Amino acid sequence: MNKSPNPHRCLVETRKLCKTYPDGRVNALIDVNLCIRQGEFVAIMGPSGSGKTTLLNTLGALDNPTQGEVLFEGKPLGSWGSLDVFRSREIGFVFQAFFLLPTLSALENVQVPMFEGDLPVRKRVERARELLESVGMGHRLNALPPKLSVGERQRVAIARALANEPKLLLSDEPTGNLDSKNEAEVLDLFCDLHRTHGKTMIMITHSEEVARRAERIIRMRDGQIVADDPVVKTSRAG
Amino acid sequence: MYFTTFLLKNLLRRKVRSLLTAFGVAVAVGTTVALLGISKGFENSTLQSFEMRGVDIVVIEKDVLDQLNSNIDQKYVEVVEKMPEVAKVGPALVNLEAIDIHGNLTPVFVEGWEPGGYLFEHLEIKSGRRLVKDDGRVCLLGEAMAQKTEKKTGDTIEITGEPFEVVGVFESGNFHENNAILVPLAAYQEVQVRPGSITGFSVVVNKPSGTDIDHVIKTVINKINNLKGEDGRSARLSARTFADYAAQAMHLKMAEAMALMTSTIAVIVGTIGMLNTMIMSVMERVREIATLRAIGWRKSRVMRMIVGESLMLSLVGAVLGVAGAFAITGLLTTLPQVSGLVQAEIADSVILIGFLMAFLVGLIGGVYPAWRATRMQPSEGLRHE
Repeated sequence: MNKSPNPHRCLVETRKLCKTYPDGRVNALIDVNLCIRQGEFVAIMGPSGSGKTTLLNTLGALDNPTQGEVLFEGKPLGSWGSLDVFRSREIGFVFQAFFLLPTLSALENVQVPMFEGDLPVRKRVERARELLESVGMGHRLNALPPKLSVGERQRVAIARALANEPKLLLSDEPTGNLDSKNEAEVLDLFCDLHRTHGKTMIMITHSEEVARRAERIIRMRDGQIVADDPVVKTSRAG
Repeated sequence: MYFTTFLLKNLLRRKVRSLLTAFGVAVAVGTTVALLGISKGFENSTLQSFEMRGVDIVVIEKDVLDQLNSNIDQKYVEVVEKMPEVAKVGPALVNLEAIDIHGNLTPVFVEGWEPGGYLFEHLEIKSGRRLVKDDGRVCLLGEAMAQKTEKKTGDTIEITGEPFEVVGVFESGNFHENNAILVPLAAYQEVQVRPGSITGFSVVVNKPSGTDIDHVIKTVINKINNLKGEDGRSARLSARTFADYAAQAMHLKMAEAMALMTSTIAVIVGTIGMLNTMIMSVMERVREIATLRAIGWRKSRVMRMIVGESLMLSLVGAVLGVAGAFAITGLLTTLPQVSGLVQAEIADSVILIGFLMAFLVGLIGGVYPAWRATRMQPSEGLRHE
């Protein structure tokens, strides 16, 4: 049950999005129509192979659709001269396995996306420090990733995703590798980013409990959206 | 963090591999710089010995590439001396002889010059005396040669199996002359059993003000090249400017050709080593590169990262290689077998060639792996195990 998209209010929108992998046998996405509004916190759920990650990668311009189109702020992604520049300016990615660079400290990892910007080195360091402090990592600035707990690594990865002030934060099972305590802390951080900073966020998860921290849940199966419903908050405020 | 710091940290992740790759480049650069340095040093020394005497023309036998293999009748020296454009002529019989130095047979340039000739003008006598007209089997030792042989005025030294008395020690501004032995031309012709024969002669032309010197030199070269003997046959003389002579001298050309050939092989080997390292590095970092793309790096930034790492390794290799080349040539100058032929100095231009070569190795070795890295679809790279 897809909501009818309103192009004037969507931050990111897909129209009849299809993705078939090169062997032609797997239809990862079939006619997906979707509108994510500015400031929304959306969870995507579905079994393995349902097309969640393909959808997320396509929304973040990491993958090209076979048919259909993705619009960002009403403009097709193709109208951006370079999808790399689009990702650099508008998108922040958080991965399940963090993907931090092991030889760089937390402070240095957060600076890596900023190489694409025009900030001088001192400003980069300053901004990275502020971001790490904002995710509660101000005390581990110079720690290398192998010396950090998994929860701390994900916090650094979130700070890195925010480095270029993206409008859209995409996260693929960000709590998948975390224990329940760290999971709660990272989700609190996401909710804070959403509530306080108005970030638009799309998060893939397998956990119903995690998904309920969002304000809307999209359910996928066999490359199609089978449900798209707002979360009715009952006990815990998200 | 600067981008270069980031590159450096990437390289330090695999310290041994980075060091071995840089060492590979160092061997390539070091070999090239050492060989080119020796060859260039030889050429520069030859040019300098002519330049400091104001030599305009060098004459050797026609169709012979090198003065050492040349054989000219000395009578033509007088003919050239009488030409109105000619100021001075310096005949010489030059040979590379094996001289016994402390039990080691060492190659030494022995040069037979006419006593009183202009060739001696730039030599400073440090001890003893100059050669004079009626001298027989006597010799002057270059300062470096005197030190090596530990001979002084009054001692004797064996040349072509004959004893020559050392009558003086000289200092020349030229490396090879300082390592040479000078003997009277006639005495050398006698022991070499080459009466009336020389290997070549140098010519200084008159340079009155207002004349076109190049034209005068060309005129004299033409006259010498067209000289005929008493029987009307060609004198078979080849006159060239000293710069042309140095550029075409066989021993210099051979040394240069060997250096270039070795350099080419070294560049190929160095590039293959660099390519191997950088391709491995890219293959190991597929997911990392995909992550960098995902967090906003452009293809050009990934390209700069890979090529930058490759160039950094090359730079380290170049520094090590140039240092190694100095060490090798320094070591060679201590070996009696070649000490008089090899200079410890390496020209700046040769060092520059070494660095350019390393840059080329780094560029070629980095561009292909970088191109491969940028062709990768980020979503595929993120799935890579």
